[in-house]
Parts: sequence; structure tokens; C-alpha cells
Amino acid sequence: MSQTFNLPDVGEGLTEAEIVSWRVSQGDTVDVNDVVCEIETAKSLVELPIPFAGTVQELVAGEGETIEVGQPLIRISAADSGGAPPPDSADSNAESASSAAPASEKPSVAPAEEHQQEQEQSPRGSGEEQNRALVGSGPKADAPKARPRTRPAALDLVDVSDLGVRGGNGRKDGRSPASALGHSAAEVVRRAAPPVRALAKRFGLDVVQLVGTGRDGRITREDVEAQAQQFSGSQQSPESVSLYEGPREEQVQVRGVRKATALNVSASASEVPHVSVFKEVDVTRMMELRAALRNDPAYENLSVSPMLFAAQAIIRAARKNPQVNATWHGSHYTLCNYVNLGIAAATPRGLVVPVIHDAQAYTPLGLAAALTALTAEAREGKTTPAQMQGGTVSITNIGSLGLDFGTPILPPGQASIVVLGAVRTKPWVVGGQIAPRQIMTIGGSFDHRLIDGDLAGAFISDVAAVMEQPGLLMA
Amino acid sequence: MSDIRLADPTPVQLLAEDGTLTEHPIFSKYIEDLDEEILRELYRHMVLERRFDTEATSLQRQGLLALWVPALGQEAAQIGAIAALEPTDRVFPTYREHAMALYRGITPEELMGTFRATRHTGWDPHAYNFNAYSVVLASQVMHAAGWGMGIKQDVATGTLAEGRPENELVLACLGDGATSQGDAHESMVFASSYELPMLYFIQNNHWAISVPQETQSRVPLAHRAAGYGFEGLRVDGNDVLATFAVTRYMAEQIRSGSGPKLVEAVTYRIGAHTTADDPTKYRSKEELEVWKSRDPIARYRAWLESTSVIDAAFTDKVDQEAAELAKQLRKAVHTMEPVQLERVFDTVYAEPHRQVEMEKAWLKDYEAGFAEEGQVADK
Repeated sequence: MSQTFNLPDVGEGLTEAEIVSWRVSQGDTVDVNDVVCEIETAKSLVELPIPFAGTVQELVAGEGETIEVGQPLIRISAADSGGAPPPDSADSNAESASSAAPASEKPSVAPAEEHQQEQEQSPRGSGEEQNRALVGSGPKADAPKARPRTRPAALDLVDVSDLGVRGGNGRKDGRSPASALGHSAAEVVRRAAPPVRALAKRFGLDVVQLVGTGRDGRITREDVEAQAQQFSGSQQSPESVSLYEGPREEQVQVRGVRKATALNVSASASEVPHVSVFKEVDVTRMMELRAALRNDPAYENLSVSPMLFAAQAIIRAARKNPQVNATWHGSHYTLCNYVNLGIAAATPRGLVVPVIHDAQAYTPLGLAAALTALTAEAREGKTTPAQMQGGTVSITNIGSLGLDFGTPILPPGQASIVVLGAVRTKPWVVGGQIAPRQIMTIGGSFDHRLIDGDLAGAFISDVAAVMEQPGLLMA
Repeated sequence: MSDIRLADPTPVQLLAEDGTLTEHPIFSKYIEDLDEEILRELYRHMVLERRFDTEATSLQRQGLLALWVPALGQEAAQIGAIAALEPTDRVFPTYREHAMALYRGITPEELMGTFRATRHTGWDPHAYNFNAYSVVLASQVMHAAGWGMGIKQDVATGTLAEGRPENELVLACLGDGATSQGDAHESMVFASSYELPMLYFIQNNHWAISVPQETQSRVPLAHRAAGYGFEGLRVDGNDVLATFAVTRYMAEQIRSGSGPKLVEAVTYRIGAHTTADDPTKYRSKEELEVWKSRDPIARYRAWLESTSVIDAAFTDKVDQEAAELAKQLRKAVHTMEPVQLERVFDTVYAEPHRQVEMEKAWLKDYEAGFAEEGQVADK
């Protein structure tokens, strides 16, 4: 009879180990607790003592090999007479005949004999004796959990939500990707040992994406290596994989709006020292007013956007802070006693900034109409170069792109550009209480040669005040 | 509080490393009159535990224990202390007091229940006056203080249980690492404030897993006692006679009502912290060799042989008994039955409890819903 020593879990919850060196060879005689090999686990270097006495029949795993906990390590043929077999082993044949008796009724049964009986009852038995790893500890040995369920758990017996007991079961066959079994950290930990997870990380793989071929769906080193190749498409050269249909590189001529924009922003960025400030504003009241205006027949078919309020706020703030509405000429600068409001618009042709000349002369309704017409024209690509000339202050609404902050580059000749972020419902402190309010970030870029932080701040604060309380426009 | 001095940083030693007996003005008298039988018992218990310990490590390496916590090298500290106490003194162990546990008569099977993962606690603490192992560091020293307060209350109110002595003391075991836990501080504050009959027994084995003792404390741990207002002493924990003498001395004071005391037994953890640990990753081979040369059993044996207290026949007999104990342990581990789920539920409350009953019924039904071994699932 031969006895097999399977790799035990020598740490707490280890799943595999590498055979570092064998201390015995085939044919050697061993006694119980003789060290037969040294293994390296994720935690430590460990000497393994053998639980049997006899002659070494086979070293199942070679040096340098990594094997899973529970896999055969070494086979021993039983000692002739002496050695370690239990004292009452002579009875083992008679005992094993009554194999149906549960082990609990025979507390006196000796170890080796007990193994033998269990092996004979087991469907996996092949006449060999296997050492039985500890049951009930660590991920490998949890036998009852590996059995398939024949019916769903009776959840109605108790109110499981009250007890915090999780019902149901996600048992699947062991070959589904880890992701199919849930992404929870615990699940990933259960399915991939730390060294395996580290390996996956080195390959840049997400463990939950991997298919485990180990026992119970466990992800092994080999799985990671094999799937790393698969994911990186190692069969083809990386160059043959492109982002989209088309040549690998393409030369594109710069013309039109792109060219104008490029010239403008590089001139502005290299010449004008920009400074930016931002402020978060509660625009709830503005949004309420906006809703009211939308229902007003006078505003029918007109765009009533945050831009409309911002335009009026800028005109009002420019009145209070004249220096923001100016052009720098080096030895002097021009203060403008009017607002030519540039409206930055993303169009199919590119970025265009049409201008509403003398915006200070418009009524609110007139401004709404002008904005609506201007943006419609811009989108249709009908904005003429003349319409883009002469701006003194601009607005760019990056909120329509879903963005919150940005530092725009000043259009040439302008000293201020205001940027509007998206309107978001956020927790806000109102009268000492946290309330959901509609919040927008407004800010801008300024020509620092002309405008210092205090002025930029005063200007933006004045704009913000109107955005927060549109009623100020009546003042 | 009168006259609390800092402990002498040089540990009390009676047996030099080469096994020669030295004189000590205070402590020698505690071993001078010891019966030869007791001297032999000290040796026997140290040898038994060491063999037990190596067998347990092997069993863990063979997959038969979930974990083992070796006490290798700390035999003298443990046996010296436990032998100096009365069997009625209550011990609150860490998870490494195997020598103490075996000394008190806890069987291999009882001791291994937790490590085989078949029991939460394998023994009845009241039967041995030896509490359950505590895996949560330093939690046991709080329980120990609570027990100490209980003794004081019982004595004060005259409600001491039958058979319990009035001068019972509590042995609160802890390691060098656990002294950094807040629990250790709280326990010592209570012990001092209420003058509890407690002996804090620190086995300073130099390593809190991978943290060296020098990091744990910049001063000898025994000095901490002075801060709480009680006496602390350092003893060579690899010297079973010194540990015995110092523990006896402290126990006498405690029983006479002088409040808590602290003993720091300076020893060394020869093995790993647990079987899940690899000490070669954090400590030097040279350091280990130095401590191996201070082996507590070899030193004591040399002295016993030189004084003819033991002979070869005796040591052979002890070795045989140790081998038998190892065999008994191996067999016990193989035949242990896992705890029945019923028992887990039935021991939550003394009386039936509706929620526990419902949970038990649910789990039973859940367990019954699995296919039996070998039965093919019908899909």
C-alpha cells in the first residue's frame, strides 16, 4: 500500500507553494516527522516533515515546480513492520469492512487506518492512502461549500434582512470569469492568492477579468500567464492593431478656423500674462427665474440660458469695474465705455467668437434674441469674420460641455473672458442647514498687465452676485 | 504609595549560563529548601512541553493543524512561574502558554481544539483555573483585572465561592508586544487603583512578530510598573530557578495584600511567531545562535546532573514520556471531531432564545439543501 502526502496549507489560507529542494530521493527510508523537502509559500520558506514512515516511492513534484495545496507531493510505500504505523493497524482490514459506520462512533480508531477507510469510501479512491488536510480552515479545505445545492435555501424561514444572514448562492461552475461571480474584494481574494494577484498586476491585468481553471474556479499562475498573452494579443505585432480604421499616421492641413484659432491663441498665450480666478455660486434663484421666463410668451423660441444672465451680469459688473473692459497697447490702454460681448461657440468649423456690439444697449429680451440668433448662425457656420471683430469682453460656456472649471485664453485685444461651468445640484449650507442647491462655478481669465487679482476678484464677485440674485439687475 | 523603585535592568539570575548556581541575597532562599522531587518536576515539565511543541509544529506542517504557536525557548519562564503559584490561582494566558497549560493538566486534545479548529476553547477554564487562550493581544489582561476585582468584592462581601481561598491571586500573562496595547495600560491602572491581587507576567521574548523589543520600549518593560505605582522586577526567563524564586517572592507580597506586581521574564522566542511566520526575514542568524546557547533546559539539566538530583535513568524516562506525549498528541489530532453546529447555537445563551433557534433552523435547512457526496446534481 502506498501513502501520498499532499501539499498542506502551512500558513493561514495559502493556496500554493513552490518546491525549493528535496531532502530525500526515491528509495530512501523515512520516519514520521523526517523533513522531506523545503517549500516556499507566499509567506515563508518552510521545511515539511512527512506524516508517514516507509520508503520513498515517488517525488511527484519536481524542484522549482509550484503546486496547489491539496495536490500530491510525495508517495511513500508503507514500512514493512516497524516505523510509525499505528499500534492497532492489524485490525484495519476487519475495521474497514464496516465502512458504513460514521467515524464519530469510533473515536479510538487510529490515524492511518481512518484515512484508509475514508479513501475506500471516496469516489476518488484508487487504493492509495491520501493524507486528509485539515477541514474547516482556509479556503482549500472547505468541503461542504464545494457541494452543489439541490434546492434553493429556504429564505422564508426567518427574516434574513433582520439577521444579516445572506441567502441564496452564487455557485457557478468553476470556469466562469471571476467577474461573473461578483467583484467584491473578498471574492477576488478567495479566487486568487496574493502572489497570483501580484503577477496579474505586473502584467497589467484586472484579476476579476480572468478565468480561473484551478479547483473551485481559482485563478492560478498559469491562468494569469496564458491570459496575459491573450489580452496583449501576442500573436500579432502591436503595430497591426490600430485605434480605428485608417492609416497609422496622417498629415492634415491646417486651414480655416483651426488656423485662425491657432494663431490667435498662440499670440495671446505668449504675449499676455493670464491670471484666472473662480468662484462657486448658488444659482438656484437664477434657475427659477429662467424657468419662469421660459414660460413667458414673450421669450417663446428664444434661448433662455445661464449665458443670458451672465451677459447682463457682465455688463453690470463692467460698469462698476471699468478697467476689465479695456485693451492693452503697451504704453497706454484703451478704456471702453461700452461692451462688445464676445460669445465663444463650439461649431462644426471650430471655435468661433461672434460679438454682440454695444450689448449695454440691449433690453433683456433683445439680448436673448441676439444671443439666440448669434448662436444659431454660428452653429450653421454662417458667422462672418466681421461679426467676430471688436470684442471687449467674452463669455465661454464650458458648462454645456459638462465641465466645471477651465482657464480660457483671451481673444486678442481683450482683457477679460468669463467662463461658466455646469449647473449642478450640490449640498450647500443655507441658513446653517445643508440643503440641495443648484451650484455653478464661474471664473475667468484676465490680462494681468491691466488687471490684478483684486480687480479680477471684484469683477467676478459682481458677476456672481447677479447670477445668485438676478433681482439685482433691477437695482 | 511607598518606595517604588525602578527595577534593576540586569535580570535576576540564579543559574549561570554554564549551569552553576549563584547566590542572591533575596531570592536564593526561595529555592534552597525546594524538595528534589519539585526540582525534577520542573525539568520534566520543560522537556514534555518542548517535545509536545515540536510535534505540534510537525502536525501543522502536515496539514493537520490550522496554526501552531511555538513556545520553543520559553519553557523555563512558563514553568518557573506556574510552579511557583497555587493550583487555585487563576491564570489568564495569551495563546503561547502551552507549558503552563500542560502543567495545569490540560490534555493535548483539549489544548489542540482551537489549533485544529474544532473548538473555540478546548477546556473548561474553571476545571483548571486556567482561562481560555486569548488571540486578541492584551485583551486577557483586562479580563484578569476584572477577575481580580471580583476576588476583592467576594472577599469584602463574604460571598467567596466554596473552596476558593481568600488569598487567591491572578496571573496575567502578556508578551512584550502586548505591553504597547492600550488594554495593558488600562488593566494596570485598574490593578493599581484598586490594589488588585494581580501578578503581571511579561514574557519578553524580544520579538512582537517582526517588531524588535527595542522598538517596543526604550526602557526595560519592568520599569513601567513604577509608573503605575507598583513594583516590577526583571528576571532571567531562561533560568527556571530564578523565575520560580522571583514569582514566589512576588506572590507572597501580593497575598499579604500589597496590591499588584509585575515580573518581566527576559527570554527569547527561538521559533517563529506562529507557523504562518518566517523569522529569517527579520532577524539575524547570529542573534538566534546567541540565544540558542542560553537554552533554558540545557542549563538546568547541567545543574541537576552536577548536583546528582537527576541521572541518566531519569532523563531517559522523561524522554520516553515526552515521546509518548507526542504520540498521544498525534493520535488526538487525528481523532478530533469537528464541533457540531448545534453546539455552537446551543451555547450562545443559557436559556432557549427565539432568534438563535430561528437561525439554527435556517442553517440546518440550508445545510440539508446540498447534494450528498457522490450524488450527481440533476442538471
